[in-house]
Amino acid sequence: MKRKFGIAGIGDLLATAILVAVSCVAIMPFLFMAGASLMPGSDVTAIPYRWIPDKPLWSNYYRALKGSDGSWIYLRNILNSFIVATTVATSSVLLASSVGYGLAKFKFKGRNIVFMGIMSTMMIPFEAVMIPLYLTAVKLGLQDTYAGLILPFLTSAFGVFLMRQYLLGFPEELLDAARIDGCSEPAIFRRIVFKNATPAVATLAILAFRGQWDNLLWPLLITHSERLKTIPSYIVRYTADLTADEGTLMAVAVIAALPVFVLFFSMSKYFLQGAGVYTGSKT
Amino acid sequence: MKLSISPPRSLETKRNRWGWAFVAPGVLFFSTFSLYPILSAIWTSFHNKKLLSLKPPKFIGFQNYAKVLESTDFWNSVRASATFCLGVFVPIFCLSLLFGVLIASRSKGRRFYQMALYSPAVLSSVVTASVWAIMFDPRGLANQFLNGLMGTPGIDHRWLADATMVQVSTMVVYVWKMVGYYCILFVTGIGKIPVSVIEASIIDGANAWQRLTRITMPLLRPTMALVSVMIFTNSLKTFSTQYLFSQRGAPSRPINVLTLNIYNTAIVEQNLGLASVMSLLLFAVLLLFAWAQVKAGGSGEDM
Repeated sequence: MKRKFGIAGIGDLLATAILVAVSCVAIMPFLFMAGASLMPGSDVTAIPYRWIPDKPLWSNYYRALKGSDGSWIYLRNILNSFIVATTVATSSVLLASSVGYGLAKFKFKGRNIVFMGIMSTMMIPFEAVMIPLYLTAVKLGLQDTYAGLILPFLTSAFGVFLMRQYLLGFPEELLDAARIDGCSEPAIFRRIVFKNATPAVATLAILAFRGQWDNLLWPLLITHSERLKTIPSYIVRYTADLTADEGTLMAVAVIAALPVFVLFFSMSKYFLQGAGVYTGSKT
Repeated sequence: MKLSISPPRSLETKRNRWGWAFVAPGVLFFSTFSLYPILSAIWTSFHNKKLLSLKPPKFIGFQNYAKVLESTDFWNSVRASATFCLGVFVPIFCLSLLFGVLIASRSKGRRFYQMALYSPAVLSSVVTASVWAIMFDPRGLANQFLNGLMGTPGIDHRWLADATMVQVSTMVVYVWKMVGYYCILFVTGIGKIPVSVIEASIIDGANAWQRLTRITMPLLRPTMALVSVMIFTNSLKTFSTQYLFSQRGAPSRPINVLTLNIYNTAIVEQNLGLASVMSLLLFAVLLLFAWAQVKAGGSGEDM
């Protein structure tokens, strides 16, 4: 079709201009963060600010990992975040798909009660249960342990909901064929259902990983020693120190952001799907 | 294998028992980590319970509730949370709807815009807050930008020092972070509008503006309702930005939102009864929104 330059053309141009401008605003703090992470602190707060460092100061990254007290505790905190986030991502996928499969494909007694029960816990915000959870964890001696960090997040009601919705459409013929071939029920779940649920599994794993990578409140409650802290509480402590070098702080921030952005760029489809899940729940 | 001629119904009943095996771990998990704690929170709210105290908790009826409802600190938090919610709602809703409609209307570069706008939502909220804290420095980028815009060189707008400005700052951070996320929801919602409806309207001679106001907007109403509720519930749970800013020395009273107050009451003041009451009141409000969300036809959880 031939483009006419008229009102529609101007509207088109305007729409593109707005979107490009907004994209710039969205990306701007990233450029700031990346640039500032390679500057001495005095340059980060220089007037006027120059976006590109004169000479990239890579030692900021060395200092960021080493920490202001030279204890390298940030490395340990990064490792903790990885341990917690990957464990939670794995367990939430396994548990949610198992429960979702049970709810979607079996007609057992009490199924509706179980389903309604789990769905109703979706409405309970973490903030409402965190104090009793904290007390229980203290009683069980889970303070300052990985178990304490991980256990409350082993799976989520939302994950169960997502997997159930996805598996409702799983072809019954495939399951029956496997049964006729003498496949046991657990094996059917492992080899056929789980392996063919990749889109939902990937979406859920990313949601769970990000949730823990971002989690500040619970680790703040449950851990005391620096050894067991995760990235978010380290960043808060670093930012709270007004004498800390701003350039190094931005290097700390870049290091924290990097893993999630590697995930984002390699699996953007599942990220955007994860967001879209909410509107898709009606079908 | 022995051939058995069992009626198919009993075979199916036997197989359906496996359903229980698959859901049992989940049932155990949700009873321990959701059901039990919420009941326990209700119990604690009626008792005089201190952290690290060996005395058995005493039943005190509604005293905790009365104490919370009488405290000016609590009402300050209600004000802080309400201000924040309303303050971010209008810009987030309008901007994400506008950008969603614009992105959906593009034939080229749609994916690029979506990724660019969504990337702030990918950044963890603590990292976001720390980057903005540096930009809000008296000598930082935010002052330079605003002064450049208004032609007032050298003025410090006290982003993290002034009682009003610190509230604006938390809202700026939140809006920047979340617009792209809700924008994707609108893009998805628009994508679900049947092509046939739009084609029919083109055949009937509707122009782009008429299509937007007469077709897209009315059909987008469920998504709008869903997004509205999600903005409210998610922004009520905001914590990281306020916590980090107050740790960096910003005045905490103006931004002492409910979640921050609950945390401080429970951990710093160690008064679990009061904290439980506050979290239950927050729960009640969120439940109201959740109910509205079900009405709007969606499901949701904090991301």
